[in-house]
Amino acid sequence: MVEEKVEISNKLGLHARAAAKLSHLANSFQSDIFLIYNSDRVNAKSLLGILTLAASVGTSITISAAGKDEQEAVTTLADLFHRKFDEEN
Amino acid sequence: MNQKTAKPIRSLLITHGQLGLELKDIAEKILERNLDIETISILWGEDGSRILSKIEAFMKRHSDGPIVIFTDMFGGSPSNVCFPFISPDVEVITGINLPGLLKFLTYREKEIPFTELVQIIRKGAIDGINVMGEYLGEKSHGRRKS
Repeated sequence: MVEEKVEISNKLGLHARAAAKLSHLANSFQSDIFLIYNSDRVNAKSLLGILTLAASVGTSITISAAGKDEQEAVTTLADLFHRKFDEEN
Repeated sequence: MNQKTAKPIRSLLITHGQLGLELKDIAEKILERNLDIETISILWGEDGSRILSKIEAFMKRHSDGPIVIFTDMFGGSPSNVCFPFISPDVEVITGINLPGLLKFLTYREKEIPFTELVQIIRKGAIDGINVMGEYLGEKSHGRRKS
């Protein structure tokens, strides 16, 4: 299992469009991928699951993956967070 | 209605006024792709037979597979006009909202039975309704001012 903690730095937080990008990307990996936010743990491949986190800017989230491509999955998803979901410069 | 969803299920959004068009437009923006959902906007005072004709035309065009019809409110005219079309291959989900529509769009290509799919959509729509104060209290995220 691979885990990485990332900060949500885009102003709108994990809103619908960002969650759609994230779940779409997560679905391209074979590994089971979860997002852990405070006491909540949701399937990163579920758009609506991600939205239930109501995660806002300035907070941190842990990406957790287990499977054949776990390292690539975590690195790729973390990069999307670092790029602020390509919403901002 | 137990066939596997081997191909994307057709869908029709029937609503009062332009609500369906707006839902579709927002879903397209969120998912960043064009959606093959058809819409029927029922205008105030519109002749019921014209609406039925539009639904029948849709059914004829897509008679080769299962169909989900979404309407905005149980008991409203968009829902009531759909009753004659319900069959093992055609289901109607009333009271659709954005979470329910997104649930459908992210599950429609999965190989799951049609009957299961419609229940997943219904749950997605219902789960999307929350009282935020209660939700934040339950989650104890410390984001609620007390």
